[in-house]
Amino acid sequence: MNSISDSALVAALRRQMTIAVAKQVASAGNLANVDTPDYKAVEVNFESALDARLTPPTATHAAHFSTTTPGAITTKETQGVTPRRDGNTVQLDQELLAMNRAGGDFSAAQTALAAKFRLVRYALNESR
Amino acid sequence: MSTLSSAINASASALSAERTRIEVAVSNMANAESTRGPDGQPYRRRDVVLAPDRTSSFDAALGRAGAVGVNVAAVVEDQAPFRRRYEPSHPDADAEGFVTLPNVEAQNEMVDLIGASRAYQANLTAIGLIRELVAKALELGR
Repeated sequence: MNSISDSALVAALRRQMTIAVAKQVASAGNLANVDTPDYKAVEVNFESALDARLTPPTATHAAHFSTTTPGAITTKETQGVTPRRDGNTVQLDQELLAMNRAGGDFSAAQTALAAKFRLVRYALNESR
Repeated sequence: MSTLSSAINASASALSAERTRIEVAVSNMANAESTRGPDGQPYRRRDVVLAPDRTSSFDAALGRAGAVGVNVAAVVEDQAPFRRRYEPSHPDADAEGFVTLPNVEAQNEMVDLIGASRAYQANLTAIGLIRELVAKALELGR
């Protein structure tokens, strides 16, 4: 399990990036509708994101390598926000904060993944 | 990656919707004193109606969670009564000397303009953040 192409670690980083992208997409949609009457803000469903992290990748055959397709990430309406008078529940600051946070998460995972790939490349190049 | 492009599309649709709001608010301000329209009536203030754009999303068709864009559902005329001002020398004054003026209030248009330009900025920021994400992802190939 300590091989360079440690697939569990790579899969985890990949899931982290997928979740960050999903959060970014949800917030972008909310920001686009910041002035739409009766629009309800959505957020990434925490349970589905958690499942995507925790569920072990399923292999259909014992001889197969495990695939690392994360479970589908769903969104749900943001709860506990008092709607504005036009029925809209988008909060500008919260959405921009979420986008920045997701960007940071993505960046962190990307840095780790890049380090991982650098090791593989180092090995391929015979330590040159 | 397709979801990231859907996010950029959603932000871009918001940019164009907010630009429409700015255009409409500016034309309302420009016509605050237009007493003679094509139908002989004073200019009527226009309002933009925004609606979430749930139809054209490729991700929605595939059942994936994509970003929801926004589109301009309609530009409607404000049916509020016209303003009246006493100005007997005006060519469009009625028998009592009152001129019927458009139902445009400058303060309402200013509030609309500020709101629209803030929303425009927020969506530009969002596009910048998404672009950073894409650029960061592409760095993996280096």
